[in-house]
Amino acid sequence: MQKTKGLLDRQVRLLEYLTSSEAIYGDSCGSLRDPILQGIDRAFLHIEARFSHEKRMDKIAAVFPKTLALLGEDRDAVVREFVHACPPVDIGRLENARQFSDFLISRWRARRPALPYLPDVTACELACAQVRMDADSSPAVAKTPTHTGPSEIRRKSGITLLRTRFDIRPIFEDKRGEISPIERLVPLAISFRAGELGIFELAPEVFDLLAALGSWTAVDELPDAEGLIADLGEAGLLEERR
Amino acid sequence: MFSVAKADRRRRPAVGIGYRSAIAEWTRANLKCFDLLEVTIDHCIYGSATQCAEIFDLVGRIPINAHGIGLSIGTDVPLDLAYLDQVAAIVEQLHAPTYSEHLAFTRVPGRDLANLLPLPKTIAAAESIITKVRTVQSRIGVPFLLENISYAFEWPDSNLSDADFLNLICRESGAGLLLDVENLYLNSQNHDFDAYEFLDKLSPDLVREVHMAGGIAISDAGLQRSFLADTHSHPVPNETLDLLQYALSLYAPQTIILERDDRLDATGEILADVERIRSCVDQRSKYAKDKGLVRSSSSSARIPD
Repeated sequence: MQKTKGLLDRQVRLLEYLTSSEAIYGDSCGSLRDPILQGIDRAFLHIEARFSHEKRMDKIAAVFPKTLALLGEDRDAVVREFVHACPPVDIGRLENARQFSDFLISRWRARRPALPYLPDVTACELACAQVRMDADSSPAVAKTPTHTGPSEIRRKSGITLLRTRFDIRPIFEDKRGEISPIERLVPLAISFRAGELGIFELAPEVFDLLAALGSWTAVDELPDAEGLIADLGEAGLLEERR
Repeated sequence: MFSVAKADRRRRPAVGIGYRSAIAEWTRANLKCFDLLEVTIDHCIYGSATQCAEIFDLVGRIPINAHGIGLSIGTDVPLDLAYLDQVAAIVEQLHAPTYSEHLAFTRVPGRDLANLLPLPKTIAAAESIITKVRTVQSRIGVPFLLENISYAFEWPDSNLSDADFLNLICRESGAGLLLDVENLYLNSQNHDFDAYEFLDKLSPDLVREVHMAGGIAISDAGLQRSFLADTHSHPVPNETLDLLQYALSLYAPQTIILERDDRLDATGEILADVERIRSCVDQRSKYAKDKGLVRSSSSSARIPD
Protein backbone atom coordinates (compact mmCIF):
# COMPACT_ATOMS: atom_id res chain seq x y z
CA MET A 1 0.00 0.00 0.00
CA GLN A 2 2.90 2.28 0.89
CA LYS A 3 4.44 1.76 -2.54
CA THR A 4 1.20 2.57 -4.34
CA LYS A 5 0.86 5.86 -2.50
CA GLY A 6 4.48 6.61 -3.31
CA LEU A 7 3.94 6.16 -7.04
CA LEU A 8 1.13 8.73 -7.18
CA ASP A 9 3.26 11.20 -5.27
CA ARG A 10 6.07 10.72 -7.77
CA GLN A 11 3.67 11.07 -10.69
CA VAL A 12 2.30 14.31 -9.24
CA ARG A 13 5.80 15.72 -8.72
CA LEU A 14 6.80 14.66 -12.23
CA LEU A 15 3.84 16.44 -13.81
CA GLU A 16 4.48 19.52 -11.68
CA TYR A 17 8.00 19.56 -13.05
CA LEU A 18 7.04 18.78 -16.67
CA THR A 19 4.55 21.68 -16.70
CA SER A 20 7.02 24.13 -15.15
CA SER A 21 8.93 26.87 -17.01
CA GLU A 22 12.12 25.25 -15.83
CA ALA A 23 11.35 22.02 -17.69
CA ILE A 24 9.64 23.57 -20.74
CA TYR A 25 12.24 26.22 -21.45
CA GLY A 26 15.24 24.36 -20.04
CA ASP A 27 15.81 27.33 -17.72
CA SER A 28 18.37 25.71 -15.47
CA CYS A 29 21.06 23.08 -15.75
CA GLY A 30 22.63 20.59 -13.40
CA SER A 31 20.73 18.00 -11.39
CA LEU A 32 17.02 18.18 -10.59
CA ARG A 33 16.12 19.89 -7.31
CA ASP A 34 13.24 17.54 -6.44
CA PRO A 35 14.82 14.45 -4.85
CA ILE A 36 11.96 12.31 -6.16
CA LEU A 37 13.02 13.08 -9.74
CA GLN A 38 16.72 12.62 -9.22
CA GLY A 39 18.20 10.01 -11.49
CA ILE A 40 15.94 10.96 -14.40
CA ASP A 41 17.77 12.51 -17.33
CA ARG A 42 16.97 16.25 -17.31
CA ALA A 43 17.52 16.59 -21.06
CA PHE A 44 14.90 13.94 -21.81
CA LEU A 45 12.46 15.56 -19.37
CA HIS A 46 12.97 18.83 -21.21
CA ILE A 47 12.08 17.11 -24.49
CA GLU A 48 8.93 15.64 -22.95
CA ALA A 49 7.95 18.98 -21.40
CA ARG A 50 8.58 20.86 -24.64
CA PHE A 51 6.46 18.43 -26.68
CA SER A 52 3.55 18.61 -24.30
CA HIS A 53 3.73 22.39 -24.11
CA GLU A 54 3.85 22.72 -27.90
CA LYS A 55 0.81 20.47 -28.26
CA ARG A 56 -1.07 22.59 -25.72
CA MET A 57 -0.06 25.85 -27.40
CA ASP A 58 -1.16 24.44 -30.78
CA LYS A 59 -4.65 24.02 -29.31
CA ILE A 60 -4.59 27.57 -27.95
CA ALA A 61 -3.20 29.01 -31.19
CA ALA A 62 -6.01 27.32 -33.13
CA VAL A 63 -8.52 29.40 -31.14
CA PHE A 64 -6.52 32.64 -30.79
CA PRO A 65 -4.52 33.15 -34.01
CA LYS A 66 -5.25 36.88 -34.10
CA THR A 67 -4.67 37.49 -30.40
CA LEU A 68 -1.31 35.73 -30.51
CA ALA A 69 -0.29 37.63 -33.64
CA LEU A 70 -1.34 40.95 -32.11
CA LEU A 71 0.62 40.26 -28.93
CA GLY A 72 3.65 40.81 -31.16
CA GLU A 73 6.90 41.08 -29.25
CA ASP A 74 5.10 40.44 -25.94
CA ARG A 75 3.95 37.01 -27.07
CA ASP A 76 6.83 34.95 -25.71
CA ALA A 77 6.79 36.74 -22.37
CA VAL A 78 3.01 36.38 -22.08
CA VAL A 79 3.15 32.65 -22.89
CA ARG A 80 5.89 32.18 -20.32
CA GLU A 81 3.77 33.91 -17.68
CA PHE A 82 0.81 31.76 -18.72
CA VAL A 83 2.87 28.58 -18.34
CA HIS A 84 3.89 29.69 -14.87
CA ALA A 85 0.39 30.72 -13.77
CA CYS A 86 -1.81 28.10 -15.42
CA PRO A 87 -0.71 24.47 -15.61
CA PRO A 88 -2.77 22.32 -18.00
CA VAL A 89 -5.78 20.78 -16.31
CA ASP A 90 -7.70 19.45 -19.28
CA ILE A 91 -6.95 17.89 -22.64
CA GLY A 92 -9.64 19.86 -24.54
CA ARG A 93 -8.96 22.67 -26.97
CA LEU A 94 -11.71 24.96 -25.70
CA GLU A 95 -10.84 24.34 -22.06
CA ASN A 96 -7.21 25.32 -22.69
CA ALA A 97 -8.39 28.34 -24.69
CA ARG A 98 -10.63 29.46 -21.83
CA GLN A 99 -7.73 29.09 -19.43
CA PHE A 100 -5.59 31.29 -21.69
CA SER A 101 -8.35 33.87 -22.07
CA ASP A 102 -8.93 34.02 -18.29
CA PHE A 103 -5.22 34.46 -17.79
CA LEU A 104 -5.05 37.33 -20.29
CA ILE A 105 -8.05 39.08 -18.77
CA SER A 106 -6.49 38.87 -15.34
CA ARG A 107 -3.11 40.05 -16.69
CA TRP A 108 -4.68 43.00 -18.47
CA ARG A 109 -6.40 44.07 -15.26
CA ALA A 110 -2.99 44.52 -13.72
CA ARG A 111 -1.21 45.75 -16.85
CA ARG A 112 -2.95 47.39 -19.79
CA PRO A 113 -2.42 45.61 -23.09
CA ALA A 114 -0.19 47.34 -25.63
CA LEU A 115 -3.15 47.45 -28.02
CA PRO A 116 -6.30 48.66 -26.25
CA TYR A 117 -8.60 46.61 -28.49
CA LEU A 118 -6.80 43.32 -27.82
CA PRO A 119 -9.24 42.21 -25.06
CA ASP A 120 -12.09 42.60 -27.55
CA VAL A 121 -10.25 40.51 -30.15
CA THR A 122 -9.58 37.77 -27.57
CA ALA A 123 -13.19 37.76 -26.41
CA CYS A 124 -14.41 37.58 -29.99
CA GLU A 125 -12.07 34.71 -30.91
CA LEU A 126 -13.19 32.72 -27.86
CA ALA A 127 -16.84 33.41 -28.72
CA CYS A 128 -16.21 32.25 -32.31
CA ALA A 129 -14.67 28.99 -31.04
CA GLN A 130 -17.58 28.44 -28.66
CA VAL A 131 -20.16 29.11 -31.38
CA ARG A 132 -18.43 26.72 -33.77
CA MET A 133 -18.40 24.01 -31.12
CA ASP A 134 -22.04 24.58 -30.19
CA ALA A 135 -23.08 24.44 -33.84
CA ASP A 136 -21.18 21.22 -34.31
CA SER A 137 -22.73 19.69 -31.20
CA SER A 138 -26.30 20.42 -32.20
CA PRO A 139 -28.23 18.14 -34.54
CA ALA A 140 -27.95 19.00 -38.25
CA VAL A 141 -31.71 19.48 -38.49
CA ALA A 142 -33.07 21.01 -35.32
CA LYS A 143 -36.33 19.50 -34.15
CA THR A 144 -39.14 21.98 -33.69
CA PRO A 145 -39.76 21.94 -29.97
CA THR A 146 -43.21 20.69 -29.06
CA HIS A 147 -45.14 23.08 -26.91
CA THR A 148 -48.66 23.65 -25.75
CA GLY A 149 -49.78 27.07 -24.66
CA PRO A 150 -49.12 30.58 -25.91
CA SER A 151 -46.53 31.20 -28.61
CA GLU A 152 -42.99 31.58 -27.20
CA ILE A 153 -39.67 32.80 -28.56
CA ARG A 154 -36.03 32.67 -27.54
CA ARG A 155 -32.62 33.57 -28.94
CA LYS A 156 -31.60 30.86 -31.37
CA SER A 157 -29.12 28.44 -29.82
CA GLY A 158 -25.66 28.86 -31.24
CA ILE A 159 -25.85 32.66 -31.28
CA THR A 160 -23.43 34.40 -28.94
CA LEU A 161 -23.77 38.05 -27.99
CA LEU A 162 -20.74 40.18 -27.28
CA ARG A 163 -20.38 43.89 -26.56
CA THR A 164 -16.99 45.26 -27.55
CA ARG A 165 -15.36 48.63 -26.83
CA PHE A 166 -13.84 48.79 -30.30
CA ASP A 167 -15.17 47.91 -33.72
CA ILE A 168 -12.89 44.95 -34.25
CA ARG A 169 -14.78 43.44 -37.19
CA PRO A 170 -12.19 44.54 -39.79
CA ILE A 171 -9.62 42.37 -37.98
CA PHE A 172 -11.85 39.35 -38.58
CA GLU A 173 -12.48 40.22 -42.21
CA ASP A 174 -8.92 39.36 -43.19
CA LYS A 175 -8.27 42.81 -44.55
CA ARG A 176 -4.67 43.36 -45.47
CA GLY A 177 -2.54 46.14 -44.03
CA GLU A 178 -2.57 47.74 -40.65
CA ILE A 179 -5.98 47.96 -39.05
CA SER A 180 -6.77 50.46 -36.32
CA PRO A 181 -10.18 49.60 -34.91
CA ILE A 182 -12.34 52.58 -34.09
CA GLU A 183 -13.22 53.03 -30.44
CA ARG A 184 -16.98 52.80 -29.98
CA LEU A 185 -19.33 50.44 -28.18
CA VAL A 186 -20.34 47.73 -30.64
CA PRO A 187 -23.08 45.18 -29.86
CA LEU A 188 -22.22 42.02 -31.80
CA ALA A 189 -23.92 38.74 -32.59
CA ILE A 190 -21.72 35.80 -33.53
CA SER A 191 -23.19 32.86 -35.36
CA PHE A 192 -22.04 29.78 -37.22
CA ARG A 193 -24.46 28.60 -39.84
CA ALA A 194 -24.00 26.37 -42.87
CA GLY A 195 -20.27 26.21 -42.19
CA GLU A 196 -19.92 30.00 -42.19
CA LEU A 197 -18.91 32.11 -39.22
CA GLY A 198 -20.78 35.41 -39.04
CA ILE A 199 -20.00 38.44 -36.89
CA PHE A 200 -22.79 41.02 -37.12
CA GLU A 201 -23.31 44.38 -35.55
CA LEU A 202 -26.72 44.72 -33.94
CA ALA A 203 -28.73 47.80 -33.05
CA PRO A 204 -28.51 48.33 -29.26
CA GLU A 205 -32.21 47.62 -28.75
CA VAL A 206 -31.96 44.38 -30.73
CA PHE A 207 -28.94 43.33 -28.71
CA ASP A 208 -30.83 44.03 -25.48
CA LEU A 209 -33.88 42.11 -26.68
CA LEU A 210 -31.80 39.10 -27.74
CA ALA A 211 -29.88 39.23 -24.47
CA ALA A 212 -33.20 39.10 -22.60
CA LEU A 213 -34.41 36.16 -24.69
CA GLY A 214 -31.96 33.55 -23.41
CA SER A 215 -34.89 31.34 -22.37
CA TRP A 216 -38.39 30.76 -23.76
CA THR A 217 -40.53 33.86 -23.35
CA ALA A 218 -44.21 34.27 -24.18
CA VAL A 219 -44.71 36.54 -27.19
CA ASP A 220 -47.59 38.12 -25.27
CA GLU A 221 -45.04 39.58 -22.88
CA LEU A 222 -43.54 41.65 -25.73
CA PRO A 223 -46.57 43.48 -27.10
CA ASP A 224 -44.64 46.25 -28.90
CA ALA A 225 -42.04 44.03 -30.52
CA GLU A 226 -44.05 42.11 -33.10
CA GLY A 227 -42.31 43.61 -36.12
CA LEU A 228 -38.87 43.27 -34.60
CA ILE A 229 -39.54 39.65 -33.63
CA ALA A 230 -40.62 38.87 -37.18
CA ASP A 231 -37.46 40.49 -38.58
CA LEU A 232 -35.20 38.66 -36.14
CA GLY A 233 -36.89 35.37 -36.90
CA GLU A 234 -36.31 35.96 -40.59
CA ALA A 235 -32.63 36.76 -39.91
CA GLY A 236 -32.28 33.44 -38.09
CA LEU A 237 -31.60 35.01 -34.71
CA LEU A 238 -34.79 33.86 -33.00
CA GLU A 239 -36.66 30.59 -32.81
CA GLU A 240 -40.34 30.26 -32.05
CA ARG A 241 -42.56 27.52 -30.70
CA ARG A 242 -46.32 27.64 -30.88
CA MET B 1 -21.65 -7.18 -41.12
CA PHE B 2 -17.93 -7.35 -41.83
CA SER B 3 -15.68 -9.20 -39.46
CA VAL B 4 -11.97 -9.20 -38.84
CA ALA B 5 -12.34 -12.97 -38.88
CA LYS B 6 -11.89 -12.48 -42.62
CA ALA B 7 -8.23 -11.81 -41.84
CA ASP B 8 -8.00 -14.98 -39.76
CA ARG B 9 -9.29 -17.13 -42.57
CA ARG B 10 -6.66 -15.77 -44.90
CA ARG B 11 -4.09 -16.16 -42.11
CA ARG B 12 -2.82 -12.72 -42.84
CA PRO B 13 -3.41 -9.55 -40.86
CA ALA B 14 -5.93 -7.00 -42.05
CA VAL B 15 -4.26 -3.67 -42.90
CA GLY B 16 -5.86 -0.28 -42.37
CA ILE B 17 -5.44 3.21 -40.99
CA GLY B 18 -6.42 5.19 -37.94
CA TYR B 19 -9.57 7.14 -38.78
CA ARG B 20 -9.07 10.93 -38.51
CA SER B 21 -11.88 13.48 -38.94
CA ALA B 22 -9.61 15.86 -40.83
CA ILE B 23 -9.50 13.38 -43.72
CA ALA B 24 -12.91 11.82 -43.19
CA GLU B 25 -14.11 12.55 -46.72
CA TRP B 26 -10.93 11.20 -48.28
CA THR B 27 -11.11 8.10 -46.07
CA ARG B 28 -14.70 7.39 -47.10
CA ALA B 29 -13.76 7.81 -50.75
CA ASN B 30 -10.88 5.37 -50.36
CA LEU B 31 -12.44 2.72 -48.12
CA LYS B 32 -11.62 0.04 -50.68
CA CYS B 33 -7.92 0.64 -50.02
CA PHE B 34 -8.22 -0.57 -46.43
CA ASP B 35 -9.28 -3.84 -44.78
CA LEU B 36 -10.32 -2.00 -41.62
CA LEU B 37 -10.19 1.32 -39.78
CA GLU B 38 -9.22 2.08 -36.21
CA VAL B 39 -11.41 4.60 -34.40
CA THR B 40 -10.17 6.59 -31.41
CA ILE B 41 -12.90 6.13 -28.84
CA ASP B 42 -12.21 9.48 -27.21
CA HIS B 43 -13.13 11.20 -30.48
CA CYS B 44 -16.56 9.60 -30.12
CA ILE B 45 -16.84 10.68 -26.48
CA TYR B 46 -15.54 14.25 -26.77
CA GLY B 47 -15.88 14.93 -30.50
CA SER B 48 -18.59 16.99 -32.12
CA ALA B 49 -21.94 15.57 -33.17
CA THR B 50 -20.84 15.73 -36.81
CA GLN B 51 -17.61 13.85 -36.13
CA CYS B 52 -19.45 11.15 -34.19
CA ALA B 53 -22.12 10.78 -36.86
CA GLU B 54 -19.42 10.35 -39.52
CA ILE B 55 -17.73 7.66 -37.46
CA PHE B 56 -20.88 5.68 -36.67
CA ASP B 57 -21.89 5.90 -40.32
CA LEU B 58 -18.90 3.64 -41.08
CA VAL B 59 -20.21 0.81 -38.92
CA GLY B 60 -21.16 -2.10 -41.15
CA ARG B 61 -19.27 -0.70 -44.12
CA ILE B 62 -15.81 -1.72 -42.91
CA PRO B 63 -14.49 -3.52 -39.80
CA ILE B 64 -13.55 -1.11 -37.01
CA ASN B 65 -11.03 -1.47 -34.19
CA ALA B 66 -11.51 0.58 -31.02
CA HIS B 67 -8.52 2.40 -29.55
CA GLY B 68 -8.42 4.70 -26.53
CA ILE B 69 -6.19 7.56 -25.44
CA GLY B 70 -7.98 8.85 -22.34
CA LEU B 71 -7.88 6.06 -19.77
CA SER B 72 -4.52 6.91 -18.18
CA ILE B 73 -4.39 3.42 -16.74
CA GLY B 74 -1.01 4.14 -15.20
CA THR B 75 -2.11 7.01 -12.96
CA ASP B 76 -1.95 5.58 -9.48
CA VAL B 77 -5.57 6.35 -8.59
CA PRO B 78 -8.68 4.23 -9.14
CA LEU B 79 -9.89 4.05 -12.74
CA ASP B 80 -12.61 6.43 -13.91
CA LEU B 81 -15.49 3.96 -14.11
CA ALA B 82 -17.88 6.44 -15.71
CA TYR B 83 -15.38 6.90 -18.54
CA LEU B 84 -15.00 3.12 -18.86
CA ASP B 85 -18.75 2.73 -19.14
CA GLN B 86 -18.79 5.28 -21.96
CA VAL B 87 -16.01 3.31 -23.64
CA ALA B 88 -17.99 0.08 -23.25
CA ALA B 89 -21.04 1.62 -24.91
CA ILE B 90 -19.03 2.95 -27.86
CA VAL B 91 -17.12 -0.30 -28.35
CA GLU B 92 -20.50 -2.00 -28.61
CA GLN B 93 -21.86 0.60 -31.05
CA LEU B 94 -18.77 0.22 -33.23
CA HIS B 95 -19.01 -3.60 -33.13
CA ALA B 96 -15.28 -3.51 -32.37
CA PRO B 97 -13.67 -6.90 -31.70
CA THR B 98 -11.14 -5.47 -29.21
CA TYR B 99 -10.44 -2.36 -27.14
CA SER B 100 -6.86 -1.13 -26.80
CA GLU B 101 -5.17 1.49 -24.61
CA HIS B 102 -1.67 2.68 -23.83
CA LEU B 103 0.40 1.31 -20.99
CA ALA B 104 1.06 4.81 -19.71
CA PHE B 105 -0.24 7.69 -17.65
CA THR B 106 -1.16 11.14 -18.93
CA ARG B 107 -2.53 12.93 -15.89
CA VAL B 108 -2.74 13.20 -12.12
CA PRO B 109 -5.54 14.84 -10.16
CA GLY B 110 -5.53 18.53 -11.12
CA ARG B 111 -3.02 18.30 -13.95
CA ASP B 112 -3.35 16.82 -17.44
CA LEU B 113 -0.28 16.69 -19.65
CA ALA B 114 -2.21 15.16 -22.57
CA ASN B 115 0.94 13.22 -23.38
CA LEU B 116 1.78 9.58 -22.74
CA LEU B 117 4.28 9.07 -19.95
CA PRO B 118 6.02 5.84 -18.94
CA LEU B 119 5.62 3.94 -15.71
CA PRO B 120 8.48 2.66 -13.60
CA LYS B 121 9.08 -0.85 -14.91
CA THR B 122 8.84 -2.57 -11.54
CA ILE B 123 6.88 -5.46 -10.07
CA ALA B 124 4.89 -3.02 -7.91
CA ALA B 125 3.81 -0.93 -10.90
CA ALA B 126 2.95 -4.11 -12.81
CA GLU B 127 0.77 -5.34 -9.92
CA SER B 128 -1.14 -2.09 -9.90
CA ILE B 129 -1.74 -2.26 -13.66
CA ILE B 130 -2.80 -5.91 -13.53
CA THR B 131 -5.51 -5.05 -11.01
CA LYS B 132 -6.74 -2.25 -13.23
CA VAL B 133 -6.71 -4.39 -16.36
CA ARG B 134 -9.02 -6.79 -14.55
CA THR B 135 -11.37 -3.91 -13.81
CA VAL B 136 -11.34 -2.90 -17.48
CA GLN B 137 -12.01 -6.49 -18.52
CA SER B 138 -14.94 -6.71 -16.12
CA ARG B 139 -16.64 -3.70 -17.73
CA ILE B 140 -15.77 -4.00 -21.42
CA GLY B 141 -17.27 -6.82 -23.40
CA VAL B 142 -14.33 -7.46 -25.74
CA PRO B 143 -10.68 -8.45 -25.23
CA PHE B 144 -8.49 -5.66 -23.84
CA LEU B 145 -5.07 -4.90 -25.33
CA LEU B 146 -2.27 -2.76 -23.96
CA GLU B 147 0.02 -0.77 -26.25
CA ASN B 148 3.73 -0.15 -25.70
CA ILE B 149 4.45 3.59 -25.82
CA SER B 150 7.47 5.57 -26.94
CA TYR B 151 9.10 7.33 -24.02
CA ALA B 152 11.67 10.06 -23.62
CA PHE B 153 12.87 9.21 -20.12
CA GLU B 154 13.22 6.21 -17.83
CA TRP B 155 12.34 6.06 -14.14
CA PRO B 156 15.57 5.33 -12.25
CA ASP B 157 14.02 2.48 -10.28
CA SER B 158 12.91 0.55 -13.38
CA ASN B 159 14.39 -2.90 -13.00
CA LEU B 160 12.49 -4.88 -15.65
CA SER B 161 13.15 -4.71 -19.37
CA ASP B 162 10.39 -3.38 -21.63
CA ALA B 163 9.61 -6.91 -22.79
CA ASP B 164 9.61 -8.39 -19.28
CA PHE B 165 7.29 -5.64 -18.02
CA LEU B 166 4.80 -6.22 -20.85
CA ASN B 167 5.04 -10.01 -20.59
CA LEU B 168 4.38 -9.90 -16.88
CA ILE B 169 1.34 -7.63 -17.09
CA CYS B 170 -0.19 -9.38 -20.06
CA ARG B 171 0.41 -12.88 -18.75
CA GLU B 172 -1.02 -12.19 -15.31
CA SER B 173 -4.00 -10.16 -16.52
CA GLY B 174 -4.82 -11.92 -19.77
CA ALA B 175 -4.52 -8.68 -21.72
CA GLY B 176 -3.19 -8.86 -25.26
CA LEU B 177 -0.51 -6.62 -26.73
CA LEU B 178 -1.00 -3.95 -29.33
CA LEU B 179 2.59 -3.83 -30.54
CA ASP B 180 3.52 -0.37 -31.77
CA VAL B 181 6.48 -1.23 -33.96
CA GLU B 182 7.44 2.41 -34.52
CA ASN B 183 7.49 3.01 -30.75
CA LEU B 184 9.69 -0.04 -30.37
CA TYR B 185 12.06 1.25 -33.05
CA LEU B 186 12.22 4.77 -31.53
CA ASN B 187 12.81 3.45 -28.01
CA SER B 188 15.53 1.11 -29.19
CA GLN B 189 17.31 4.00 -30.90
CA ASN B 190 16.77 6.57 -28.17
CA HIS B 191 17.61 4.22 -25.30
CA ASP B 192 20.14 1.90 -26.90
CA PHE B 193 18.58 -1.52 -26.78
CA ASP B 194 18.11 -4.23 -29.38
CA ALA B 195 14.59 -4.10 -30.80
CA TYR B 196 14.92 -7.59 -32.32
CA GLU B 197 15.87 -8.99 -28.93
CA PHE B 198 12.74 -7.31 -27.52
CA LEU B 199 10.63 -9.11 -30.11
CA ASP B 200 12.35 -12.41 -29.35
CA LYS B 201 11.50 -12.02 -25.67
CA LEU B 202 7.78 -11.33 -26.06
CA SER B 203 5.56 -14.19 -24.95
CA PRO B 204 4.03 -16.36 -27.67
CA ASP B 205 0.56 -15.28 -28.84
CA LEU B 206 0.84 -11.94 -27.07
CA VAL B 207 0.75 -9.70 -30.15
CA ARG B 208 -2.86 -9.31 -31.29
CA GLU B 209 -2.63 -6.01 -33.15
CA VAL B 210 0.11 -3.80 -34.56
CA HIS B 211 0.58 -0.04 -34.98
CA MET B 212 2.90 1.50 -37.57
CA ALA B 213 3.85 5.17 -38.01
CA GLY B 214 6.64 7.52 -38.98
CA GLY B 215 8.15 10.33 -36.95
CA ILE B 216 10.97 12.85 -37.06
CA ALA B 217 14.41 13.36 -35.54
CA ILE B 218 14.72 16.43 -33.36
CA SER B 219 17.77 18.18 -32.04
CA ASP B 220 18.14 19.84 -28.69
CA ALA B 221 21.06 21.62 -27.11
CA GLY B 222 20.89 19.34 -24.07
CA LEU B 223 21.08 16.13 -26.11
CA GLN B 224 24.23 14.51 -27.38
CA ARG B 225 22.44 13.20 -30.47
CA SER B 226 19.13 13.59 -32.25
CA PHE B 227 16.04 12.30 -30.49
CA LEU B 228 13.56 10.30 -32.56
CA ALA B 229 10.04 11.49 -31.84
CA ASP B 230 6.78 9.64 -32.41
CA THR B 231 5.00 12.40 -34.32
CA HIS B 232 2.88 10.25 -36.68
CA SER B 233 3.75 12.76 -39.37
CA HIS B 234 5.96 11.10 -41.97
CA PRO B 235 6.32 7.86 -43.93
CA VAL B 236 7.15 4.74 -41.97
CA PRO B 237 10.96 4.39 -41.83
CA ASN B 238 12.49 1.35 -43.52
CA GLU B 239 13.94 0.25 -40.18
CA THR B 240 10.42 0.05 -38.74
CA LEU B 241 9.23 -1.96 -41.73
CA ASP B 242 12.16 -4.36 -41.22
CA LEU B 243 11.08 -4.77 -37.61
CA LEU B 244 7.50 -5.39 -38.70
CA GLN B 245 8.66 -8.09 -41.06
CA TYR B 246 10.57 -9.74 -38.26
CA ALA B 247 7.61 -9.41 -35.89
CA LEU B 248 5.32 -11.00 -38.48
CA SER B 249 7.67 -13.94 -38.73
CA LEU B 250 7.19 -14.53 -35.00
CA TYR B 251 3.63 -13.46 -34.31
CA ALA B 252 0.26 -13.50 -36.02
CA PRO B 253 -1.48 -10.20 -35.28
CA GLN B 254 -5.01 -9.88 -36.59
CA THR B 255 -4.64 -6.29 -37.69
CA ILE B 256 -2.02 -3.71 -38.64
CA ILE B 257 -2.95 -0.04 -38.39
CA LEU B 258 -1.03 2.87 -39.88
CA GLU B 259 -1.30 5.90 -37.59
CA ARG B 260 -1.06 9.37 -39.08
CA ASP B 261 -1.87 12.58 -37.16
CA ASP B 262 0.08 15.27 -38.94
CA ARG B 263 0.66 16.30 -42.56
CA LEU B 264 -2.63 14.58 -43.27
CA ASP B 265 -2.90 16.29 -46.63
CA ALA B 266 -0.09 14.02 -47.86
CA THR B 267 -2.63 11.27 -48.53
CA GLY B 268 -0.38 9.76 -51.20
CA GLU B 269 2.13 8.94 -48.47
CA ILE B 270 -0.60 7.24 -46.45
CA LEU B 271 -1.63 5.01 -49.35
CA ALA B 272 2.01 4.27 -50.17
CA ASP B 273 2.69 3.27 -46.55
CA VAL B 274 -0.33 0.96 -46.54
CA GLU B 275 1.08 -0.73 -49.63
CA ARG B 276 4.55 -1.00 -48.07
CA ILE B 277 2.97 -2.65 -45.02
CA ARG B 278 1.02 -5.03 -47.26
CA SER B 279 4.26 -5.98 -49.01
CA CYS B 280 5.74 -6.86 -45.62
CA VAL B 281 2.70 -9.00 -44.87
CA ASP B 282 3.07 -10.78 -48.21
CA GLN B 283 6.73 -11.47 -47.63
CA ARG B 284 6.46 -12.60 -44.00
CA SER B 285 6.37 -16.35 -44.63
CA LYS B 286 9.24 -16.22 -47.05
CA TYR B 287 11.24 -14.14 -44.58
CA ALA B 288 10.72 -16.57 -41.71
CA LYS B 289 11.63 -19.53 -43.87
CA ASP B 290 14.75 -17.90 -45.30
CA LYS B 291 16.02 -16.84 -41.90
CA GLY B 292 15.10 -20.10 -40.21
CA LEU B 293 13.50 -18.10 -37.42
CA VAL B 294 12.41 -19.79 -34.24
CA ARG B 295 10.57 -17.91 -31.49
CA SER B 296 12.55 -17.89 -28.29
CA SER B 297 11.02 -18.62 -24.90
CA SER B 298 9.16 -15.92 -23.00
CA SER B 299 10.49 -13.84 -20.16
CA SER B 300 10.94 -15.13 -16.65
CA ALA B 301 9.66 -12.15 -14.64
CA ARG B 302 6.93 -13.22 -12.22
CA ILE B 303 4.96 -11.61 -9.47
CA PRO B 304 6.26 -13.00 -6.19
CA ASP B 305 3.80 -15.14 -4.24
